[in-house]
Amino acid sequence: MGKFENKYILITGASKGIGFTLAENLDNLGAKLILHASSEDGINKLTESFANKGHLIFRADFSDPLSLEEAWQSQINQDIKLDGFVNCVGLRSRRPLNLLKPAHVMNILHANVASFIEMCRLVCRKNGFNPGLSIITISSIAAHSGGPGVTAYAASKAATEAAVRCMSKELFKKEVRVNSLVCGQVNTEAYSDLMETKASADDVILERQYLGLGSTQNITDILLFLLGKESCFITGSSIPADGGYLS
Amino acid sequence: MTNEEKIALIEETLDIESGSLNPETELLSVAEYDSMAKLSLIVLCDENFNKKLSGEQIRAFVTVGDILAFLD
Repeated sequence: MGKFENKYILITGASKGIGFTLAENLDNLGAKLILHASSEDGINKLTESFANKGHLIFRADFSDPLSLEEAWQSQINQDIKLDGFVNCVGLRSRRPLNLLKPAHVMNILHANVASFIEMCRLVCRKNGFNPGLSIITISSIAAHSGGPGVTAYAASKAATEAAVRCMSKELFKKEVRVNSLVCGQVNTEAYSDLMETKASADDVILERQYLGLGSTQNITDILLFLLGKESCFITGSSIPADGGYLS
Repeated sequence: MTNEEKIALIEETLDIESGSLNPETELLSVAEYDSMAKLSLIVLCDENFNKKLSGEQIRAFVTVGDILAFLD
């Protein structure tokens, strides 16, 4: 019996990076997964990687929070009761203030904040979950330590952490826990893209992140702990997983 | 888009006085050409020209003309 045998866990942003590694781990541990991606490529990757495993695939556009309720209700059997929800959607944004126009900012806030809150609302409706449901959203050191060019991204991550603190206080009576995992620099496709387009070849983040670049497995190990009942006394928290960056 | 129009767009993106750049201008002599300006260039290339500008390519730019050649 795997640790998460027959537990239903939703992973949004599951086709890449941390979400994908988490999906592989939970699959091995016996969980029944609802795997989300926004793009056709992402859906295809999930279908190929997890074919015949009995997991559900959920396609929804997080840049359009208004579309999520219809997508969730039409694609996912509403009798399923979730035991976990890990939000790994995180639209990146690097641009200076002079190019930070409202349409761009709103797109980041829609995908990273409004859609996360909307998914929490949909998941936490009556009969939609089992007591003990653990919700975790991936946050970033950018929410705590500002940097030039990351205004929209950092603001979105700080907003999700604030939302988590409020939701945890609303939802504890339903035996739902909500936490944020504050990640440092992790070796994902998004990180490779970032390094490819950086004007400087140096990675200033890793100078402060003295345990080095994190792996998606490092983060997944902590997510598995936060999903499990061993972490039942932790809620409303922003938990650093940052290789020492914020110390 | 003509070179003049491209230069005007670069000046606007980098928040530089209009008419201060020409193809021969050396980027090192432009005070405003810092890391945020380079980030702005990446966004400019992506949004206005649908071209992906890498860090390596940026570091190879010496003059404004090099940027114009990349945008062609």
